[in-house]
Amino acid sequence: MSIENRLRTVFVEALQLDDDVDVENLKYRDIDAWDSVGHMALVAAIEDEFDVQFETEQVIDMSSFKVAVDMLRGFGVGE
Amino acid sequence: MSLVHPDARLRDAATGELVGGADLAARVAAEAVLLRDLPPGVLFLRVGVDVPSVLRYLGALEAGRAVALLDPGQDHAVLAELVGRFRPAAVLGALSEPLGGYSAEGVRLSPEGVAPHPDLAVLLPTSGSTGNPKFVKLSRQALHANAVAIADVLGIGPDEVAPTSLPLHYSYGMSVLNSHLVRGATVLLEGSGVVARPFWDAVERYGATSLAGVPYHYEMLRRLRFDPAKYPSLRTLTQAGGKLRTELVAEFDEKMRAVGGRMFVMYGQTEAAPRMATVPAERLAEKLGSAGPALPGGSFAIRVDSGAETTDPDVVGEVVYRGPNVMMGYASAEEELVEGDSLGGVLATGDLGYLDADGYLFITGRLKRIGKVFGNRVNLDDLEQLVKHLGPAAAVPAGDKVVVFLDGGDRETCKAAAKALAESLHLHVTGFDVRPADGFPLLPSGKIDYRSLEERV
Repeated sequence: MSIENRLRTVFVEALQLDDDVDVENLKYRDIDAWDSVGHMALVAAIEDEFDVQFETEQVIDMSSFKVAVDMLRGFGVGE
Repeated sequence: MSLVHPDARLRDAATGELVGGADLAARVAAEAVLLRDLPPGVLFLRVGVDVPSVLRYLGALEAGRAVALLDPGQDHAVLAELVGRFRPAAVLGALSEPLGGYSAEGVRLSPEGVAPHPDLAVLLPTSGSTGNPKFVKLSRQALHANAVAIADVLGIGPDEVAPTSLPLHYSYGMSVLNSHLVRGATVLLEGSGVVARPFWDAVERYGATSLAGVPYHYEMLRRLRFDPAKYPSLRTLTQAGGKLRTELVAEFDEKMRAVGGRMFVMYGQTEAAPRMATVPAERLAEKLGSAGPALPGGSFAIRVDSGAETTDPDVVGEVVYRGPNVMMGYASAEEELVEGDSLGGVLATGDLGYLDADGYLFITGRLKRIGKVFGNRVNLDDLEQLVKHLGPAAAVPAGDKVVVFLDGGDRETCKAAAKALAESLHLHVTGFDVRPADGFPLLPSGKIDYRSLEERV
């Protein structure tokens, strides 16, 4: 499964998103569920799913789904 | 007795604009002029973390108009219900849908209204209470007394720069604003929160000197491996909004002292405008777990079962606070806005605790069925009511969250229940841990045995 597909599942579960949310284009604070509380739940869920650990700077820079994908690629997470 | 010192400043983090001095006074006065002309009644202000919202709030205070501070993201149905009960003169801040009986600008069409009591300055919703949400009525004098007392114990001076890490409709967020404005300090308005880059950029660029957080903020800061050495201006941390784990208090206290900074643990309730106690930073390490001594001008007593009060050490009972910052009372409808002070400066907090030999308060539990969700007080019975269409529910507190047992629930109904709670209370869905249950343990009286449910959590 691609990084995008796995990450989409993590987003949907961690933020309890409805089916009609355009996850790929989601940005921090676009929706109520992705507030600061949701952000920390999301970061923890991504770390679990991909077995990575984000640095402080990465946590506060993870401002969109796309940025998260790029960060995971940076970790060398395979497709 | 103005809440705004002539030297107070507001900094807009997004634009860099600094509003202070004569400019601030003129802009507040211009807001006041507009608000004075509205029909009689309370003002509803959907207060965002931005300069225009703060100017409106200050304008309302200057105009002597009682103003209710509301969450701008509040569900429209919840807002409409409040509007129906309180018939505000105007609902300020963008509306997602039109309100019956109000103009497109949010002004009540009927000129007939009830003028609130002249002492009444600010109303805050009792956080989370939903079955019948009511307002805490804070007088001008209570607001001012609390702002000054907080500024005294934290040593807030004109050089302080406080970023808005908390919403302004939340009593703690409002008190950060008030206690800085009253001392001619700067409030840095930045709305993205402590997990986002713009917040920390603003902290660095504008030299923020302090940070206010509820327990979950400290959990986040720990996860972010917050290092005060990276932010040389940031030398004060304050914590309120529920009890923070003592190991985290100790950890942040050490971190701050290592860089010559200070960590303050505080205790309060919206009903006290909101601060009642603060542990002096220099005594935090020896008083871990304490909420601190009463603020200057206030005092604590412990009410025991007989109804008698004591200040003897180590006696557990209901915490009673006395001080100039105690609310006037609650209002659950328009006509109650007219009533004056009904408490005489005495607040029975509903919290259980004891005092030590130095007069430091330790909170041990609660008398009422109350939980906290990310620092926001919620009435547990109300939560059960809110999901009853999905089945009988039993809610118990669980640290910074609540656990709701749903009788006969399955994965889908539990998820729907958590969503329903999050939407009506406008709190994050992860704060509601809804679990399926097959019946509830009962007491001999036939009532739900909440204690044994709490043990399951």
